[in-house]
Amino acid sequence: MLLQLLINGIVNGAIYALVALGFAIVYNTTRIFHIAYAVIYMVAPYFVYTFFDKLGFNIWISAILAIILTIVVSLVMELIVYKPLSKKNSSGNVIMISSIGLMIIAINLVALFYGNDTKILHRDISDSIRFGQLIITYSQLLQFGGSLLLITGFIFFLKFSKFGIKTRAMRDDEPLCRVFALDTFRFRNYLFALSAVFAGTGGILVAWDVGMDPYVGMPMLLNAIVALIIGGVGKFHAPIVGGFIIGILQSVVIWKFSANWMEGVTFTLLILFLVFRPQGLFGEKQRLV
Amino acid sequence: MNYLLHILIMVNIYIILTVSANLIVGLANLLSLGQAAFYGIGAYITAWALMTLGLTLFPALLLSILITASIGFIIGIISLRLKDDYFILATLGFQIIIYTVLYNWISVTRGPYGIPGIPSPKLFGLVEIDGILPFFLLSSILAIAVIVIFRNLIYSPFGRALKAMRDDSIALLSLGRNITKLKTQAFTIASGFSAVSGFLFAAYITYIDPTSFNLDEAIFIISAVMIGGTGNIKGPLIGAAFVVILPEMLRFVGMPDNIAANMRMIIYGLILIVLMMFRRQGLAGDYKF
Repeated sequence: MLLQLLINGIVNGAIYALVALGFAIVYNTTRIFHIAYAVIYMVAPYFVYTFFDKLGFNIWISAILAIILTIVVSLVMELIVYKPLSKKNSSGNVIMISSIGLMIIAINLVALFYGNDTKILHRDISDSIRFGQLIITYSQLLQFGGSLLLITGFIFFLKFSKFGIKTRAMRDDEPLCRVFALDTFRFRNYLFALSAVFAGTGGILVAWDVGMDPYVGMPMLLNAIVALIIGGVGKFHAPIVGGFIIGILQSVVIWKFSANWMEGVTFTLLILFLVFRPQGLFGEKQRLV
Repeated sequence: MNYLLHILIMVNIYIILTVSANLIVGLANLLSLGQAAFYGIGAYITAWALMTLGLTLFPALLLSILITASIGFIIGIISLRLKDDYFILATLGFQIIIYTVLYNWISVTRGPYGIPGIPSPKLFGLVEIDGILPFFLLSSILAIAVIVIFRNLIYSPFGRALKAMRDDSIALLSLGRNITKLKTQAFTIASGFSAVSGFLFAAYITYIDPTSFNLDEAIFIISAVMIGGTGNIKGPLIGAAFVVILPEMLRFVGMPDNIAANMRMIIYGLILIVLMMFRRQGLAGDYKF
């Protein structure tokens, strides 16, 4: 029983890690507290729903089209809202409020078009592999494998590609990047697109398993933020570790108490970290007071 | 007529919420996403005081304010050590923890079933405040009292010190003022006054459940403050009136209810973004956020 919960926790943790990494790609480099990121996660499976269930496209084509449209949504947010605000040197609070506004608009647009009820992407029961008592469904394998593939791919590119070097440079010192003639606003487009790929993939993988409604984004975003803080802001491998910690912790909570207390425990952990180790597990010590 | 009075009572409840949130957001420049938690604690303490303890109006109100302010004090001490995004995250964390407790501690709060049949409060044990007109009078008196208190606070040395801290905290520090103490005082006072709204809500609706005090509500309160504007008394009044009256306006325009609910949220979101871009002080505020 414990082992089964542990496996479920690791699979959820992989999704948290993926989504948190997408959030960190934007937050670490631009310091935009991208609350509307919740919408990116939520809207991707709705695009799959449109192509796959309504128009009858092949699932892989639907998924790819959905990711492309998700990237478009993310870029629209950046170009219409974040970029003008950043050019005006707006404070973090102003950008966060605008992001909340974006989230409210997008959630309710989706609710208007698709309705408030839960939608499922496919009706067949997912096959599973059994190891004695343990059951692992194919959807879970897909979630774990898909997340791991994207995460390792990104870490690899971060280390070795020019894109990765620019990303780390943006994280460390954005004004200096401009000094060295990097068009930071153009580069931000790539970052927003990449974060949309991460959130969109996570959203589609989870929705393929359990379906979605217009409000799934916020709880996932909150978990991703906690993963980021626990791991530590400013390091790209940190949210990955944080995501797995939360995933496993939540399974233990479900095992020991009940699923209802899951969020309470997650956020108590957040508060503990904010009070005693605000730089997270891997972050560098900085003045936060 | 009763319909109009009902709307005005709701406006009064939201005026108290926005005015008290304005003290932390507009005067101290601390964006808090945890205001709905204090609103909820106030409502639950009121239900307990009126039902179980059988207190009359003023003792129940005072008890509700005192307990909520004490909790606000503790939360303030913990979260006010952090700044910017970290402070917002801490308040958001407490908001979710308190919501989880209200939702899951079934033996005390009845959890998702809510508390029905809250008795109407008695004035000095003589006059029962029951029916819509007495509640309108009561809520108006309390709202006016809160407005007067905050007006005096804004122009008191305390309010000026808060404004000074918001504009230049280091200058204030060099003048020998204790900034953390100032912030904690403001946070405690604001949470105490949120309890007044909770009191009115619980006693007027006579039924409370945790979903009225969730994160969405906290975001809604902050949106109302931002739409109205921060830094003075006029802004929060206009914000509260606007967010309560807009849905009723949409109903008069003849928009079907299922669309209107989403439509009003889209309008709030749009207004938030437009204001953050072009008019950061909100519709009637005087502090450029």
